[in-house]
Amino acid sequence: MFSEIKAIVRKDMLLDMRSKENFISMLFFSLVILIIFNFALGSDTKIVTTVAPGIFWVTFLLAGIIGLEKSFLVEKENGCIEFLLLNPVDKGNIFLGKMAGNIIFSLWVQACVIPLFILFFGYHFHSEFLVFVIVTLLTILGFSALGTLLAGITTGLKFSGVILPLLLFPLLIPLLLASVKVTEGIFLQKSLEAYLDWLKLLLAFDLIFLVVSYLTFEFVMEH
Amino acid sequence: MLKHSRLIGFIALLSLGISAWMAFYWAPVEHSMGIVQKIMYIHVPASWVTFFAFSVIFFCSIAYLWKREEKFDVVAASAAEIGIVFCALSIATGSIWGKPTWNTYWTWDARLTTTLILLLIYAGYLLLRYFIDESDRRARYAAILGIIGFPDIFLIHLSVKWWRTLHQPSTMFSTKPTSVIDTTFAVTLWVSVLSFTLLFLYILLKRIELEKKNRLFQYKVSHMHT
Repeated sequence: MFSEIKAIVRKDMLLDMRSKENFISMLFFSLVILIIFNFALGSDTKIVTTVAPGIFWVTFLLAGIIGLEKSFLVEKENGCIEFLLLNPVDKGNIFLGKMAGNIIFSLWVQACVIPLFILFFGYHFHSEFLVFVIVTLLTILGFSALGTLLAGITTGLKFSGVILPLLLFPLLIPLLLASVKVTEGIFLQKSLEAYLDWLKLLLAFDLIFLVVSYLTFEFVMEH
Repeated sequence: MLKHSRLIGFIALLSLGISAWMAFYWAPVEHSMGIVQKIMYIHVPASWVTFFAFSVIFFCSIAYLWKREEKFDVVAASAAEIGIVFCALSIATGSIWGKPTWNTYWTWDARLTTTLILLLIYAGYLLLRYFIDESDRRARYAAILGIIGFPDIFLIHLSVKWWRTLHQPSTMFSTKPTSVIDTTFAVTLWVSVLSFTLLFLYILLKRIELEKKNRLFQYKVSHMHT
């Protein structure tokens, strides 16, 4: 099982390491959005501080969509998906492999964006940095679970660039709300109890959609 | 059931008439809200039908993926279209009621927001159907969306409720002695809920009939020259 997932992840990483399309476009897209938000909000640091968690996660969603779109496009472009399906690989493992690939791209990008974000918005982390890392991981997991499933559905359709965010964003609202609230709690240095419920909601969202996406992905890949 | 659609339509019309009569002549004008409260006899049933329609989609989606019979896809597609109309009706009537009561047409309250997101999810569902040509693939993809959308509604509702809330809790199922509504109001509400459900069933049956004919027509057209 793990060798199959590993093979798919390795293939996706190798492809992108050669072209660097995904990583570079996601990173610079995030950067541009962060800067644009800063211009749009003006120089009032008080306003910027209150809305910063929202900006951070909206930036992530917008950049993450790019990675999701690419993830199945490479398969469908040259009919690679047919060959992938010809292999005696469990379809659930294809899902997990694809999802792991998306998670790795998002992690790369966030690893670059977080320092820049801290720099631009002037935050200082103390002991809560670990919680911030956990929130980031959980959000990326939930986003990739649901996103990989929907990207599998929408890639290759008419107007796929519009329909993917159109389907994904409303479904992701609990995830977005939870991660924004936890991040807000961390930035305002509230105690863990103040946002523990949100953290649980985030975890519940991840678990539910990891299972549901894993189970329904089989029907996406049918021929 | 398709054969009885005319009968169901007749009963729906009759009961809608009765509930209109009850709402305007039998149930008294509510004390604090005044005449505006009458819109609840549309708002509450419309919201109920919205939720009912989306449950129909959920169960038909599971049934389709399990049994692979086209009829489940036909029912889900029909229910989605009607559900979205009632969802919009529910938001519109709620908005009209909100202006004199909360002094605003729109507020980011938990239920209002959830209903709006519900509308967006199922608009996406219909768009997905619209963008894929008639096929087994379309039915599969739509069914997946119909399944994942349903549990999400509960998470959305929970999260938005924690986020902020203003809407009063549901009075119809309330057991708190202080908030129990007067019997005449309750009876009128239940009758209107029932008649809206019948109306939904009637439109659903008609829509299914239309969808079947349409698919048959498409099939015949595509096989005309072969």
